[in-house]
Amino acid sequence: MRISTQQIFDGGAARMGDVQTALAKLQQQIASGRRMLSPSDDPVAAARALEIAQSQSINAQYADNRTQVKNALGLVDGSLSGVTDLLQEIRSAVVSADNPTFTDSTRAALATELTARFQSMLNLANATDGSGNYLFAGFQSDTRPFVETATGANYQGDAGQQLVQVDTSRQMAMSNSGQSVFQGGGQDIFQTLKDLIGLLQTPVATPAAQTALTSGLATGLTSIDLALTNISTVRASVGTRMQEIQSLDNAGSSRDIQYSAALSDIQDLDYTKALTQLSLQQTALEAAQQSFVKTANLSLFNYI
Amino acid sequence: MASNILSIAQSALTAAQVGIGTTGHNIANAATPGYNRQVVVQNAALAQNFGFGFIGQGTEVSTVKRIYNEYLGSQVQNAQTAKSGLDSYYAQIRQINNLLADPDAGLSPALQDFFSAVQGVATDPSSVPSRQAALSSAESLAARFQSLSGQLTELERGVNTQIASSVTLINAYADQIASLNDAIGKAQRSTGQPPNDLLDQRDQLVLELNKEIKTTVVKQGDGAYNVFVGNGQPLVVGTSTSKLVTLASPTDPQKVVVGYKASNGSTMAIGDSSLVGGTLGGLMQFRSESLEPAKNALGRVAIGLAATFNAQHQAGFDLSGTAGGAFFNVGAPVVTAHSGNNGTATITATVANAGALTTSDYSLSFDGANYTLTRLADGNTTTFATFPQTIDGVQIDLTGAPPVGGDSFLIRPTVQGASAFSVAITNPSDIAAADAPGAVGNNVNALALAALQTANTLGNGTATYLGAYGQMVNEIGNKTRELEVTSAAAGTLLEQTTATLQSESGVNLDEEATNLLRYQQAYQAAAKVMQIAKEMFDMLVSIGG
Repeated sequence: MRISTQQIFDGGAARMGDVQTALAKLQQQIASGRRMLSPSDDPVAAARALEIAQSQSINAQYADNRTQVKNALGLVDGSLSGVTDLLQEIRSAVVSADNPTFTDSTRAALATELTARFQSMLNLANATDGSGNYLFAGFQSDTRPFVETATGANYQGDAGQQLVQVDTSRQMAMSNSGQSVFQGGGQDIFQTLKDLIGLLQTPVATPAAQTALTSGLATGLTSIDLALTNISTVRASVGTRMQEIQSLDNAGSSRDIQYSAALSDIQDLDYTKALTQLSLQQTALEAAQQSFVKTANLSLFNYI
Repeated sequence: MASNILSIAQSALTAAQVGIGTTGHNIANAATPGYNRQVVVQNAALAQNFGFGFIGQGTEVSTVKRIYNEYLGSQVQNAQTAKSGLDSYYAQIRQINNLLADPDAGLSPALQDFFSAVQGVATDPSSVPSRQAALSSAESLAARFQSLSGQLTELERGVNTQIASSVTLINAYADQIASLNDAIGKAQRSTGQPPNDLLDQRDQLVLELNKEIKTTVVKQGDGAYNVFVGNGQPLVVGTSTSKLVTLASPTDPQKVVVGYKASNGSTMAIGDSSLVGGTLGGLMQFRSESLEPAKNALGRVAIGLAATFNAQHQAGFDLSGTAGGAFFNVGAPVVTAHSGNNGTATITATVANAGALTTSDYSLSFDGANYTLTRLADGNTTTFATFPQTIDGVQIDLTGAPPVGGDSFLIRPTVQGASAFSVAITNPSDIAAADAPGAVGNNVNALALAALQTANTLGNGTATYLGAYGQMVNEIGNKTRELEVTSAAAGTLLEQTTATLQSESGVNLDEEATNLLRYQQAYQAAAKVMQIAKEMFDMLVSIGG
């Protein structure tokens, strides 16, 4: 076939251009460490990468949410442990009060002690988190949940439980309604305390009054035991939730690793392959250059 | 006899000179684009009868012709127009592809940040800082929508400008082809010989014209080229030309379309789909097949997000116990009446169900009795006679007098969705996180808002916000890849057809060097004949003296 001189030059330039384009792309891939430089490099993977990145970001968000829940539950548990200790102390005081050798003034001193305990209990029930939100107010987190009355305390909060998304399909309560904690399970801690204080302040002059004291103290003890049981139940549920958070955390971090691996599979460059390809292309370019110079130098005009 | 020998030598010298001249011309133009090699056509002069036989009278040059195969030439033109069209489409779509290439610059990080911040509100609903963070990330999301849409609008403006410059080039080439038709005709009529270099120039101009738009060339009996474009609109007829012009689209003043100005001065728009091949065809195809759908797809995500998020937000209550308002503002559907409408009817369109929206535009036409709504992406039509109608999530209604038969309207439901996307609330406490009034710790609605991130709200319940955006990324990526491949294939085809043409018509310098030697030797030999003739004459003279 006849070939024109221009074809020799155009063809040579085109071949070298092709190899240079391939080299430039490889170079870009190596410099950025990314196999996919733009969606056109792998359109399906590009859309997939968006989804994986979103899943990973949501997973990270759930981990943040769990930290929040963990902190909040830690605060709740701390308060409830205080409540348990306090109830134990109150219980000892009430047990000691049923003593025939006690005089009215001894009992009055006990009543004063219980009044102080009542205030401690109220403080624990009105505990706040770091940002000043009440822990036991339900959704009314800016309202002081318990207000002292003559016969106990009134609950100002509501029954709401703040749920937090801690995993794809798991919403976990991070708060408890104060009513269910302090006034649930068939008892009302504040009313019990007020009743006991009233009972101990009443002078005992007759055998009937003595009987009333004894039975009043016994009722009080029963209520305190009910309160202890109720608090233990709440603490158990808090503990279970904290455990669940722990296991969700473990699952979340392993998912995070999977997402990273999947993203890396889609986006990242196989350096070994890329570098091998690079030296192959380099050889191809050198060959194209050398053969072009040799061909282009062949001219009859060199001899005439 | 001697004078006869001299004139034979003379004719040989002339032929050799013409040969060397033509060879030199070939060498000089070896690299000239569009140049076809020329060869000297030489034949023996008519012999003279001397009674004892015919004695040759030397040689004569009958013509200098160019080696050019019109069939191969038109193949190159076709390959060129296909390649230029694909290249121009590819150059444009690559810009969108690169726009979406950076994983940190697209829509998805902004979307993720926004929903993370909404989760933050759900976790701590009474905290003003966490609400402020949600508002700020909503602003960033709005800015991202606007910036992406702005960049697509920039591309649209760029396309308008490039259409105008392509049209200018086409008109300039048409003028030059017409004047070459004239010059070639005159040269041929006055000499009877082909003006090779003018013919080369004209063929090269036709090739250049094909880089801008696909043409059909019909060669006339007198050698003139008639050139047609589009649906057969004559651009060049003999020595006269008609012009292409740019016009504002009759249904969208922002959009430049191409019109044809007939010789009687009237102007009519040429449909975008009729302009194929070349840079102009590539631009048209890019605009209708990739750019407008991409803008609509982005708008659909924006409208879908705003509509579903607003609906959930309005179901809740804010920090002060007031029912939630709209969280986002979003662009409404755009309806434009065709500028040639005879009636004054106004058609309105509103989004009735964002989940059912498509990424297509619609054309509504009225035939005097019925309305036909055509979904432009796939040509699907719906016919009805009364308003309102809800189709693909868009409610279409008529206000004012009914249109006149033949009137038409363009309905673009999602075109402004992204550009007009903004945050409607400014006060952090207006975020409606609660599902009932009067409890600052109530986060039920915030949880529902956060859950929208992974809900299949768009495309009739098939896609999440990110999924719908991912579809657009996938479509642009696929189309770009397809163009990379087809453009490379068209390049190979062009290379091959050009090589075939060149193998006949191109200059080979080795061949020319050979010809140079051939004609040099012919010249030397002719000179020798002349010298011998002279010596013979001298001899005769010396005998006579």
